[in-house]
Amino acid sequence: MHPIFKHRRRLLLYLGVWVVFGLLLTVVFVFGGNAPVAWSLEFAVPVAIVLGLQSLSFWYVVQATPADDTPVVRMAVIWAVAGLVSLLVWIAIAYAWAIWLVPTNEVYPETATGILPLLIFAGAVGISVAVLGHYLAGAFQRSRNAERRALELQVLAREAELKSLRAQLDPHFLFNSLNSVAALIGNDTQAARQMCFLMANFFRKSLTLARQQSIPLAEEVSLAQTFLAIEKVRFGERLRSSFDIAEDVQDVAVPPLVLQPLVENAVHHGVAHLLEGGEVCVQARRREGFLELVVSNPCDPDRPPSRSTGVGLVNVRSRVETLCGHRASVDVDARETSFRVSILLPAVSSHAATS
Amino acid sequence: MRVLIVDDETLARSILAEHLAKLPEIEVVGQAANGFEAVKLAEELHPDLMFLDIQMPKLSGFEVLELLGARAPAVIFTTAFDEYALRAFEVHAVDYLLKPVEPPRLAAAVERAAERLRNKIPPPSPEQLSAAARPPGRTLERILIRHEGRVHVLPLERIDFIEAQDDYLSFCAGGKRLRKQQTMSELETQLDPTRFVRIHRSFILNVERLARIDLYGKDSWLAILSDGTKLPMSRTGHTRLKELIG
Repeated sequence: MHPIFKHRRRLLLYLGVWVVFGLLLTVVFVFGGNAPVAWSLEFAVPVAIVLGLQSLSFWYVVQATPADDTPVVRMAVIWAVAGLVSLLVWIAIAYAWAIWLVPTNEVYPETATGILPLLIFAGAVGISVAVLGHYLAGAFQRSRNAERRALELQVLAREAELKSLRAQLDPHFLFNSLNSVAALIGNDTQAARQMCFLMANFFRKSLTLARQQSIPLAEEVSLAQTFLAIEKVRFGERLRSSFDIAEDVQDVAVPPLVLQPLVENAVHHGVAHLLEGGEVCVQARRREGFLELVVSNPCDPDRPPSRSTGVGLVNVRSRVETLCGHRASVDVDARETSFRVSILLPAVSSHAATS
Repeated sequence: MRVLIVDDETLARSILAEHLAKLPEIEVVGQAANGFEAVKLAEELHPDLMFLDIQMPKLSGFEVLELLGARAPAVIFTTAFDEYALRAFEVHAVDYLLKPVEPPRLAAAVERAAERLRNKIPPPSPEQLSAAARPPGRTLERILIRHEGRVHVLPLERIDFIEAQDDYLSFCAGGKRLRKQQTMSELETQLDPTRFVRIHRSFILNVERLARIDLYGKDSWLAILSDGTKLPMSRTGHTRLKELIG
């Protein structure tokens, strides 16, 4: 639908402008054409409104010939034809209206002279202004739309960041770690200090990484290692870990916080439920142009169903899909006594991804 | 007062022990690193007071209490963060401490526990407490049974049916039976009503095990399970089951 018809106010304003055009036309007829005032008013205002209504059709022509990517010649021809047709139609309507107004054989009042040239001139001016106005309105509308879309995208990105941050600042993790620091301060100040550094490191990294679109795998691995180092202070001997990251994938671009939540799940839903603990294994290697990232851990078959099942995993999945689309996959292999998540991502170097 | 500390984190136990050592008339008699140890030590050492972590491997704090039953000492729960458990404590006026624990707060909690012991105020039942600590809409997921000195953790999906026998419930899973002292109506309220139906005064059925229903007499039916077991079904039981499976 034509945008003018969407709002009553807009339509009234638009017609108001054309009424003013009609009044100007009246003045032109009275002074330039020596026509009587009453007749000029009666003649000019309705035909001005008719031109206004006619000009609404330009909107569709504007849609078909965007100013930015239509060749100049093509545009000139199209508008010349559209303007001429519009002008002719308008003159015909005005002529009929004039005949209607003066019931005698005359078309115009006796005193009036040169009304037709004036009409043609005024029509050409009116049509030109209308076309220009349509282009300006279109450009305005487009820039507003673009702004809104950019804003929407920003909100979406911010939402994703917040979500991952909230997942990051797991209160259980935070308070338990603080408890460990409090305990260490009493008898091992060196270790307490070390723990503070680890925590500062971890939170700083997750804050900065979360804002980026993609990061080198090596950074994500280092975040996961920091996380495990903190958890090892808490869990002691029970938590063990092994990292096997191939040299040629260190630089592969991955979405931030893709590995850390998986390692966190491996600890909290896996190793934490085992009396003897267990080992969290992280492997990364290149496979036919893809990066294969695997996190596996043992788990207790009798473990209580976790409350946050899948939240971290769902988050990881959606982020992987946002960045890589259908070329990426996240597979889960949940067994009685083991849990394994493997991610396949197109192996793009992080230098290539950022440039 | 003799105290038992239960927490799966070594550091968490050590800081609690450190703070408690500074309080008068407190003796830490033992430390347990998991639920099984907690149950064992509580029964061997007969402490007056137990500091009990909620999230632990194998058995949660609530489950430890459930297993100890009437032999449970006074309890102060400790947790880092567990919104539902905290609400349960508030509702039942149970003492709890948030980690990291502040010494004045610890002293106050110990004082209150001593006061409760002197006045012999009974604690809320562990079932009530753990039910209140369950997130809304969540039902029981596993059953704890002590059988011949061992603790069995029985996930609900392994249970075929439950039969009431005098004061006991007999849990039947894959041909084996485990007995637990509990009442039918108490258990019924904790189970997921879309998975478990009380088909008879003395029987609760795991709906997944149902193979077919045979008419047995006027107003009585037989539920035939997939392993061939036949269970009697009352009229109300039949109606309930029909409502569920349509």
